[in-house]
Parts: sequence; structure tokens; C-alpha cells
Amino acid sequence: MTMATDNHNALSRRALHISRSGVLPLVLRWCVSFAIAIALWEFCARVLVANNLFLTPLSAIGVRAVELWSTGELQNHIYVSFIEFSGGFVLAVAVGILLGVVLAEFPLVRGLVDPWVSMLYATPIIALGPLFILWLGIGVISKSAIVFLVAVFPILINTVSGLTTTDKVFIEVAESFGASAGQIYIKVRMPAALPFIIAGLRLGVARALVGVVVAELFGARAGLGFLILNSAQSFDTAGVFVGVIILAIAGVLSVELLKWLEFKLAPWRHQESGE
Amino acid sequence: MKAKLSTCNLSKSFRKGGSSVEVLRDLNIDIYEGEFVSIVGASGCGKTTFLRLVDGLIEPSSGTVSIHGEIVDRPGKNLSFVFQRDGLFPWRTVADNTALGPEIAGQAMAHARNIGHRFLQLVGLSGFDQHYPHELSGGMRQRVNIARALSAGADVMLMDEPFAALDAQTREIMQSELLRIWQETRKTVLLVTHQIDEAVYLSDRVLVFTVRPGRLKQEVRIDLPRPRELSIKRTAEFVRHTDIIWRAIEEEVQESIRRESRSVASLHC
Repeated sequence: MTMATDNHNALSRRALHISRSGVLPLVLRWCVSFAIAIALWEFCARVLVANNLFLTPLSAIGVRAVELWSTGELQNHIYVSFIEFSGGFVLAVAVGILLGVVLAEFPLVRGLVDPWVSMLYATPIIALGPLFILWLGIGVISKSAIVFLVAVFPILINTVSGLTTTDKVFIEVAESFGASAGQIYIKVRMPAALPFIIAGLRLGVARALVGVVVAELFGARAGLGFLILNSAQSFDTAGVFVGVIILAIAGVLSVELLKWLEFKLAPWRHQESGE
Repeated sequence: MKAKLSTCNLSKSFRKGGSSVEVLRDLNIDIYEGEFVSIVGASGCGKTTFLRLVDGLIEPSSGTVSIHGEIVDRPGKNLSFVFQRDGLFPWRTVADNTALGPEIAGQAMAHARNIGHRFLQLVGLSGFDQHYPHELSGGMRQRVNIARALSAGADVMLMDEPFAALDAQTREIMQSELLRIWQETRKTVLLVTHQIDEAVYLSDRVLVFTVRPGRLKQEVRIDLPRPRELSIKRTAEFVRHTDIIWRAIEEEVQESIRRESRSVASLHC
């Protein structure tokens, strides 16, 4: 009988969770919100501002996007930015996590490296953009380097803190079963650090997206940042918005992708924050 | 009869700032096969420290702990520890949490899960294998915690206030569940608790510790018949036992309050 009440508590709590964030109302809310925004935009652009240079109606932006797509120009910009972004970001993930593992293991090295990491994390590395173009050329490499540098520090810092702040009770549980240091590392510290690392990835992605665009603004031959700059300089406001909207979509998609990843890899995190 | 678990002149001091604080002094305690023994005492009497020493989680300053005559120098397979904060791994399902002990001992994962499942059944949670700890109530989490300790296969279970965080009703139920589980598995149990009625209800013997440095003040044999129903708590015999223990503890609690107020007073001077 007591079991029933026990179970009942947990189950009813979950039922509550579902009803609070029901699927249909969410979709509906999004649709309504978008419809209002689109209508407002169209109204402001056509009636209030009535000047395509300042604010282009969404419909005109759509037309411009199709134009750019049909010449193959848009695909090329997206492709170039994507390569720059992913090259730098993948490297940042690999280096950030590996270096984080090393720093977490060796407090002495950590002590030496820490001030530099904090300093570089706080520095707007993006300001070094022109220098990187000077050093590495106007192509993909210089942009990837900047993406790498802006994204690597949050990943590194979170990996280190995830691995070094494991709840003591988890480690003691493993110890009480006679676990070796290696087993504690693999079975306790690594999984406990995972949500931290994912949070680092999320910070890194946001910074990397900004990084790739701003780096292109400093000088490039292609890419979405280049498209925005180039369109602005030739008074093609619709072209600017095409670039901006694609970036916004990329931002939303990457954030959602990481949320999904967190949900898959660290489901308990998701529920805890929901309560 | 030879003791299953015994401590010999066990003492422990901690370094705090520059000075050393003596927490436990000269404990000589024997616990026999299949016995259920509880330790009670005022807060800060070193009960938990004692348990951690016995498990080998920390090292004694002097003296020894032995199990079957073998010295305990690190946590191992003969003892399992039930922590007050359940310490269930949030990233593991209930099934994988209970499989932890055999898994660490080197069993194949499938086999480890089988062992775990057997003890999940014993604690009445066999339908919850695939749940995550955050989906369970406090009482259920402690059941998993106990199943995890049992599946490690040790003969001696050390329990550190396992029900302290539960509400009063759930705690009562868990006490009777623990008795049932103990009777089915015939483990030797050493339990630390604040609750005198819990100690009397569960134990064959209750050890009362003095305030710091913790020493054995009194040993109370609980000769209530077994199996015990929860209703036994309302009998005169039961109350007589709790009275004896409460009187022993009361002096110690008074002493610890006196000490505390003295140290607060000295802070204000």
C-alpha cells in the first residue's frame, strides 16, 4: 500500500510536467507569435517607413533570397560560412575537451595556465580579426582560427570545472564499493562532467556564430558576413536581411540541436531545471 | 563466539586549523554475525566518523578495524555503505545504479544488472528499472540506495542515518521494510541514527556514544521479540527501552549544549 502512495507521488508529478508544457499549445503560440510579427513587419515597412533602404518588407526579402539562390550565390555564401564555422568549432571542441581533461588532472599545470585562460576568455578576441587576416590570409583559415579562439575557452573552462567539482558523495559511493581511481574517473567524474561540457558547447556555439560573421566583416571573399557587408555597401537592404535571417535560423537550429543533445545525454538535468 | 567485525582501541583526530580535534577515543566494539547494531549519540559525537572508519573511507589515527580477523585498510568488498544522502548517480537508471557494486567488482554488465535486479525486487521496486533517480520519491530513492548496497554482495552493511531526510510516515515504513530485508538477507548491520525509537525498533543492541571525543557510554541490549511489527513501538516494553537510552543520551546532549553556549559566549567576549 505504501508503495502505491510512493509511486503515485512520482507519477503525478510527471503528469503535471506534461500538462504544463503541452505540445499543441506551444506550437500554436509560436505560430500566432510569428504571424503577428510578420504582419507587423510588413505593415511597418510598407506603410510607416515606406522606404526600402531603411526597412525592407519581408516579401521583398523573400524575393531577394530567391534571386540570390537562383544565381547560386547564396548557396556559396552559406557553404563558405559553414566550412569556416565547423572547421573552427570542431577543433575548439576537440582541443577544449582534451586540454580540459589534462588541466583537470594536473593542478600544477592548471595553476600556471589558469590566469591566461581567464584573461583570454575575457578578451574580445574578435578584435584581433584584422591581425588574423594579415597572418593567415583572407580565406577560410583566418576565419576558422577566430572561430576556434572564441569558442575554445568556454568549452575548456567548463570541462575543467565539470571534472574538478564532482559531488563528493558520488565519489565516496564508488570508493565504498572499492573502485579504483580509473573506475572513478570513467564511471563517476566523466558522466558528472557531461552537463558542464554541454553547457560549454552551448556558450561556444553562440560565440562561434558571432565570430564567423564578424571575422568576415573584417575582410573576406565570400560568406554570410561578406554578403551582409557587401549588400549594405551597395544599398541592398534586402540582401542584408537575407544574411541576417539565415544567421538567425542557424543560431536557433544550433541551440536547439544542443538542447536536444543535452536532453539525450543528460536527461536528469532537463527535469531538474524544469522543477 | 568470535566477532564478525571488531574495532581495537580505535581513535581518530582531525586537524583543524593549527590544532587537532579528537573525535573518537579508544573504541573497542565487537559486532557478531547477523547482528543488527545501532549507534546513537548527541550531534557531533563522531558516530558518522566511526562508520567511515569502519568502512575504510578514512584512516584511523590509531587502533584498528578488522572483519573476520582481517584488518580493514581501504573500502572493499566485505563491507557496503549506505549513505545518508542517497548518492544515486543521476545519469544512471535505477537498474544501472543498483548494478554499480558488481560492475566495479569486474562483473560483466549484463550479469551485474541481473544481480541488481534481484535486489530491486527485494526492496519492492522491480517495476522501476528504467526510471531515473530524479523521477523517484525520497523513500523510493532510499530503497534503491539499499538495493545498491545489497547487490555489492558484502555481508556487513553500514548505514549512515539512511532515513534522516524522509518524512515521519515514510521513515516508519522504511524501518519496517529494512527489518524485513534484514530478516531475508541475514546481513550484519551497523546503523547510525539520531532517532532513538528507530534504534530500539531495529536493533539487537544499541550503543550510546558520549559527546566528543566519542567513547562508548552505554550498551543497551534490546530483548524485544522478533519479528517486530511497527505497533510494538506503542508497547510499555518498547518505551522502557527508549527511556533507558534517552536518559543516557540526555546527559550527553546537555553537556554538548553547555559546550556550545560556552564557545558562543567566548566568541562574544
